[in-house]
Amino acid sequence: MRSKGVRLLLVGGALVAATGCATGEEWGIWRSNGAHFASGDHMFFSVRNREGTKPTVTRKDITLARDQGWWGKPITVGQDQILER
Amino acid sequence: MLGLAGAAFSAPEADRILPVDKYTTEKARGLARAHLSALRDLNAYIYHCVPWVETEKQSIGFFKPKYLSEDDRYLSIRIFIEQDPSPAFAALDHGNRAAAMFSRYAGFLLKTMTKAPAILADPGVGGFITILEWRKQDGSERTGRPVHETIAVYVPKPLAEAYLSGKVKIDELARRAIVLGWDGEKALGELKLPAWDDNFVYTYKIPNYKLDPEAKCS
Repeated sequence: MRSKGVRLLLVGGALVAATGCATGEEWGIWRSNGAHFASGDHMFFSVRNREGTKPTVTRKDITLARDQGWWGKPITVGQDQILER
Repeated sequence: MLGLAGAAFSAPEADRILPVDKYTTEKARGLARAHLSALRDLNAYIYHCVPWVETEKQSIGFFKPKYLSEDDRYLSIRIFIEQDPSPAFAALDHGNRAAAMFSRYAGFLLKTMTKAPAILADPGVGGFITILEWRKQDGSERTGRPVHETIAVYVPKPLAEAYLSGKVKIDELARRAIVLGWDGEKALGELKLPAWDDNFVYTYKIPNYKLDPEAKCS
């Protein structure tokens, strides 16, 4: 069962939309289409990481990106199958 | 909005910790009250220092393993591990995927859960449960919903202490712990996993991640 290759296959936990950088042209397109931003927080994150500035990712940004990239309610084992309160 | 600098301190959601009144026995409630500070510290540590994982709601607390008949309470946490799609990882069988996750997170979580000396010192704490969950990368074709794979690792306190003291290595921890697996909602039963040292959690940094100045990740 064991494979040395398995050790190398777990990729880093890079999250969707964790960087948020935009080129000048892209920024212009976004600014003209208010519907692009799913929420005010998303716009704030994109604005804070404008072209030419060093992008930053805060813990709140990660939570926001995760929420906005939500894949839907997962099929997964319920907590009550594993342990009891 | 333009020009706003910095970010207010970001606190983890308190709902990751099971409220005291949700427990079903006084023993569990007593543990939860006695170690509330340690539970909050655990929640904050995972939130800030391992930001690519998500602690499940009401998953931090003192729970009874489902397979035990007595009210033996284990400190438990359940995390969802976010990771990039990887055809190579997806091509592994479930056992190897589970082994990889165990190797990367089980030992790390055990060490993190016992940072507060009072946890191990409390005779009411019988052991530790780490529940690791990740998205199955080929699981959604038929349902349209993401399918998660899960392993639950039950470590009785004597085994935890042996591991934490260095007497037991990660591979022996995997052999002696009880590990149950699930493919979505389907129980796979007990798994016997290989395990190896993996320091990813201690070395990986999300690019450009700005740690809250009040967070402590040492």
